[in-house]
Amino acid sequence: MIAANRNNKAKRYGMTIDVDRCTGCGACMVACAVENNVPPAHEGATERKGITWIRVFKVDNGEDYPGKRTVFVPVLCQQCGEDTPCVHVCPQQAVEVDPATGIVGQMPERCLGCRYCMAACPYHARYFNWWDPQWPAGMEKTLNPDVAPRMRGVVEKCNFCHGRWHAAKQRAAAAGKQEIEAGSYVPACVEACPAEAIHFGDLSDPAADVARRAKDPASFRLLEKLHTEPKIYYSSQRDWVRRIGDPPKPPMGEENLRG
Amino acid sequence: MFTPAPWRLITDTALWSENWPGIPRPARGEIKTRYTNCALCPAGCAVRARLVGEQPVALMGVPAHPLSFGALCPFGLTGHQLPYHPERLKQGPAHEAAEAVANAIAQCGPNERIAVLDLRPGRTASWTYRRAMAAVKNGVYLTAPPPLGGASVNLSAARTVLSIGVPVLEGWGTPGNVLAARAGFRLIQAEPFESRTAALADLWLRIKPGSGRALALGLTALLEGKAGPLTPAQAAAETGLSENQITDLARDLAHNGPALVLAGDDLPEAVPLNRLTGAWGESLIARAEAPVPESWKKAAPPTGFASVPDGSIRALIIDESVPGDYIPWNVIAPKLVPDNPVVVAIAWSRNGYGRHAQFTLPAAVYPEMTGDAPAAIDSPAAAFRIFTPLVPATAGMVDPAGFIASAAGMNASAALRERADAIHKAGRGTLFTYADAKSTPVKELKPEDFWKALNQGGCWMDAPGKPAAPVKYDEAAWQGKPPAPQEASDLPLVVALTGMPGAAGLVSPLMSKLYQESNLRLGRNRAALNPASAAACGVGEGSRAVLQTLLGRRPIQVTLSASTPPGVVEVEASPDILDICGAFSRARVAQS
Repeated sequence: MIAANRNNKAKRYGMTIDVDRCTGCGACMVACAVENNVPPAHEGATERKGITWIRVFKVDNGEDYPGKRTVFVPVLCQQCGEDTPCVHVCPQQAVEVDPATGIVGQMPERCLGCRYCMAACPYHARYFNWWDPQWPAGMEKTLNPDVAPRMRGVVEKCNFCHGRWHAAKQRAAAAGKQEIEAGSYVPACVEACPAEAIHFGDLSDPAADVARRAKDPASFRLLEKLHTEPKIYYSSQRDWVRRIGDPPKPPMGEENLRG
Repeated sequence: MFTPAPWRLITDTALWSENWPGIPRPARGEIKTRYTNCALCPAGCAVRARLVGEQPVALMGVPAHPLSFGALCPFGLTGHQLPYHPERLKQGPAHEAAEAVANAIAQCGPNERIAVLDLRPGRTASWTYRRAMAAVKNGVYLTAPPPLGGASVNLSAARTVLSIGVPVLEGWGTPGNVLAARAGFRLIQAEPFESRTAALADLWLRIKPGSGRALALGLTALLEGKAGPLTPAQAAAETGLSENQITDLARDLAHNGPALVLAGDDLPEAVPLNRLTGAWGESLIARAEAPVPESWKKAAPPTGFASVPDGSIRALIIDESVPGDYIPWNVIAPKLVPDNPVVVAIAWSRNGYGRHAQFTLPAAVYPEMTGDAPAAIDSPAAAFRIFTPLVPATAGMVDPAGFIASAAGMNASAALRERADAIHKAGRGTLFTYADAKSTPVKELKPEDFWKALNQGGCWMDAPGKPAAPVKYDEAAWQGKPPAPQEASDLPLVVALTGMPGAAGLVSPLMSKLYQESNLRLGRNRAALNPASAAACGVGEGSRAVLQTLLGRRPIQVTLSASTPPGVVEVEASPDILDICGAFSRARVAQS
């Protein structure tokens, strides 16, 4: 495991997503793919075999017009804080929780492609590279130099734009600071959201905006009953939206079997 | 088994496989930042580009920008990948096209016309086309009809907004500006289907397909307090709403003002309705344009297709180099002369008018192109922004303004600079520069500095003036939409168009995240059907099928969607679909 710098207080990076503001435009999805060198879909890719580190789902309250209400819910790796399911099942130690940041990291160079982590993840937020990453001729010139593309046969997922974290660390070090300043490190989806629905920061810093938002009575997390302690907090002023965090068990045969 | 060697070997093998030649390796180089404006839609949002060496690798918004507020839509975020799109047009018969146009101009008869179709009016290039058409015998400058009588919308001045089918929260106007103003108004969306805007509106009124006009007339009758062409009871019957709902809506507009009614260019009835709500001259104001040199003002006026007699256009040049309102080919085709008309499309790909044109010439794509963006529909003041190329244009690209100017015997290569000088000479407004987020009055700048700042990422905004009422909307001169197809009993489905109509340009292959790898949006040539409708049509998930309307048929792939109402087929408003059907046309889906 990566040792936390003893001189620095460990951070707990997390995110709040105001579902009432999300317009479902998908800017977060493409900004994420641009930042993390996720390739365009292979022609055989479907919504089950595609790679979308963050994915916006359209969810409704199940009623017909005029009672029908719909929200858009961006779902990404929930960065579980306790008993992280994917960490436990990985036979290769390719998944680790960084104690310095609380970020659940995925190391593709260690991954064997067994996909146990995908089966274990209750949020279906992990993606398998079914094909070699390919960009149309010339488009590889637009790849982000801070992130290595992953090869066929490994699993990948959101890591809160680890390349940006490294860049922020370097900037801080160049300025003679040991810690990253609040606001100097934000994932691409946060920066790209035109509705400013996504906020990011250190949940362990009581002064941080994201920590205040996470404690708002309107906030909720997905599948809290599993006690995985996700660090992604959603919020909505509507009761029915808050209830989607803890849905009843789906009937057999309706689970997402991606991968 | 217990030795670490095999495990180490596995790790090393994996490390090797990560770097094998099949995996692209990102280029390294100096990281730079450049600023420009997005050319993908009329909003022209401010863009901050991250470059490695001279190659853009990411685009983001400029947070302090007073119009776009740091927002970019998914199309804008991936714009730097467009030059590498596999469907991009890279060559075309430019000399042959120029010769054919020159011959057509020479042979143009007294009742024939030479026309330019501009999909995005108001640019400096548009002025070049207008000047060129004034210089050519029987020249006509054609554009799509302007919505809301060509008015600008000031959303921040409205407290209640009734949108009749306008995709307010789906890319209409400037996304950042709309979202910034959103908290200040109550949005009522009148639309037959649950679009994203309908889903996010404060109130969604599900009206019958094609009944927007009836709703507008019913509201007009109630607000005027006298009988009009349609009584509220008749409007209720036509829209499927109750009379009480329409009365409540009229009350909302009257008492929770300032109220604004938004509608597309196919609903001129929204104009009188806005006069009654008081929006006309307040939240709907005259579209201000950046100053132009005095010598440009002898230009051909914008004209709609309705003003052009059938069979009269000898040569038509279509500037499709910036995506804009797509006018269906079935509106254009009857206007061409029957014997050998010359049609030249200057475009990014063959997906739009290139399918019909005799000559399709390649145009530089964003972010290779140079041009400018006038004020967007939701900008209350005039604005001027320049698209500065982030990468050099590919060889062989045709500049539409240069092509059309040279056909008219003009030289317009310095038009952008002349326009910037005219703005500077007027001495009004401020220049907002992106790199330092500063606003400077134009009076304090020298012409050279103004020009340089515009090219390095800047936006000129006019001084706010007194709101002026928009010009009178002349419906007859602009009508150019195809007539709604008649009901046909063998066409059981109603077409619901999704996406921004007329998005004929290319989109980055990375948009597959939205179109293919999730179900967030419908992709090109995909149609969504309710499972019950699909079963009735004999198609299933992924079926290859045909969308049949009265005007033609297109191959599609079926996607099942429980959120699509029964009896409806949802398709993306791409040019090939718009050529065979408008919104709410009748259609049939059958297995191919």
